[in-house]
Amino acid sequence: MPSFMMLLHRPVERRPMADPETVAGVTREYMEWADRTRAAGRLKAGSKLTDDAGRILRNESGRVATTDGPFIESKEIVGGYFLISAADYADACRLASECPHLKYGSYIEVRRVEEL
Amino acid sequence: MTEAAPALEDLFRQEAGKICAWLVRLLGPGRLELIEDAVQDAFGAALAQWRFEGTPQRPAAWLAIAARNKALDRLRRDMRLESLDPTDEAAAWRLGFSNPEETGKPDDTLALMFVACHPALSEEEQTMLTLQVVCGFNARQIARAFLSTPEAVTQRLVRAKRRLRDLKLTVEIPEGAELAGRLAGLLNAIYQLFTGGYTAAEGEQLMTEERCAEALRLVTLLCEYPATSTGEAHALAALICFHHARAAARTGARGDVLLLAEQDRTRWDATLLARGFVHLRGAMAAPELSALHLEAGIAAIHASAPSFAQTDWPALVRCYEALIALKPTPVVKLNAAIAHAYADGPAAGLARLDELAGNTRLSHYAHYHAARGDLLLKLRRHGEAGAALLQALECPLNGAERDCLVRKLRACSTPPRQAHS
Repeated sequence: MPSFMMLLHRPVERRPMADPETVAGVTREYMEWADRTRAAGRLKAGSKLTDDAGRILRNESGRVATTDGPFIESKEIVGGYFLISAADYADACRLASECPHLKYGSYIEVRRVEEL
Repeated sequence: MTEAAPALEDLFRQEAGKICAWLVRLLGPGRLELIEDAVQDAFGAALAQWRFEGTPQRPAAWLAIAARNKALDRLRRDMRLESLDPTDEAAAWRLGFSNPEETGKPDDTLALMFVACHPALSEEEQTMLTLQVVCGFNARQIARAFLSTPEAVTQRLVRAKRRLRDLKLTVEIPEGAELAGRLAGLLNAIYQLFTGGYTAAEGEQLMTEERCAEALRLVTLLCEYPATSTGEAHALAALICFHHARAAARTGARGDVLLLAEQDRTRWDATLLARGFVHLRGAMAAPELSALHLEAGIAAIHASAPSFAQTDWPALVRCYEALIALKPTPVVKLNAAIAHAYADGPAAGLARLDELAGNTRLSHYAHYHAARGDLLLKLRRHGEAGAALLQALECPLNGAERDCLVRKLRACSTPPRQAHS
């Protein structure tokens, strides 16, 4: 079955964290989605990415230039990803549509992994 | 449809004390503050990472390792050991860290309790610190129990921990004569945990069950450890078992408070009652007779009565008289008066209650006025009964207790005193 990458975009948080009970409740919803999807054999991997800006590497006339990521200026970052198995885009989107990130993040980008 | 998974906060709370006890053994009580912060960091990381990774295979071990790494990270910063790699297992061992599989050892928890109940702290601080580091409650929950604010609780706890740090304590269970003195502090903290939990303060039902359960867990720990399994520890364990056994029966179908006389005794937890009697035997095997012994004895008399009417009231009166000799507090005298009322009639009880009139502690204590109202009602002095119950309603009460009093007030056939009468 083909693999799809779910890139979870979320706004850069500049406001203080919500109260712990709310955060725990949100986390529980994500975990339930991930556990359910994994139990169905559809979740292959998933990780949170750190909240820093990351690095951007460019080739500037033969020299590698490393800069901080665009995160400071941008309003969105990729907060994490899931790698899922799905028959096609419709199937992948069906799975992704149940992910609580649509409630709490900003959007999910679904990309198919190229296979030979 | 799906079975409710345990709330993350419950998991965190249950693991926090174990992880803290383990890290205190490894790093010493002087680093209690750093350890608490590291445990909080670990929980924060779990909230962020578990969203993407789902539930780890062994959540408790995940949290322990995360807390250890966070503690190591903080140590590294504090000690300016920048070169130390946080993932370097060997370096971790050199700093005193070891296998996170070791969390949850009863000895660690016991040692941590002795730290939290150190005599350099006030009784209230001891109870607060026990709630925080041993039981894993957060400042907000502790504030609710102490009718305080989370900020005030946090400040007191920080100051308490600094004082402990300055004492340069080592983590160990005291021995010999020192043990006896220190054990009293532990028993008191557990007693506070339990009595504060048994009747939640104003309007707060939350945490009540958890606090009683924690008190039972900790006192059981004391009873299982040879050096701390004294008669008093067993007496406290028995007392908690007997009261906790009635927990389910204390609340009616609509969350209303059911008095001892109204409770369906078949709903009492037989296993806990049995455990209570085992501890009571343990308590009686000891040579000393403490107030806790008598309190456990009183609870046992209630626990062994087949019905409220068949309660051995004269035995209760004897226990209360002995208790007054050891612990002459107004609340004990109040309860003794109630026992007298059942043993020798409402008039005898009322006379004793009236002897306590004017006591400042009792004048704001709802149970005192409620008991007077009850006895006056039995003596058919309805007008006075109504007045006493109204006085009770002016005292601090939780919602369920308030409803219970209002129910009684309706039983006074004469209407409550009107302002214009």
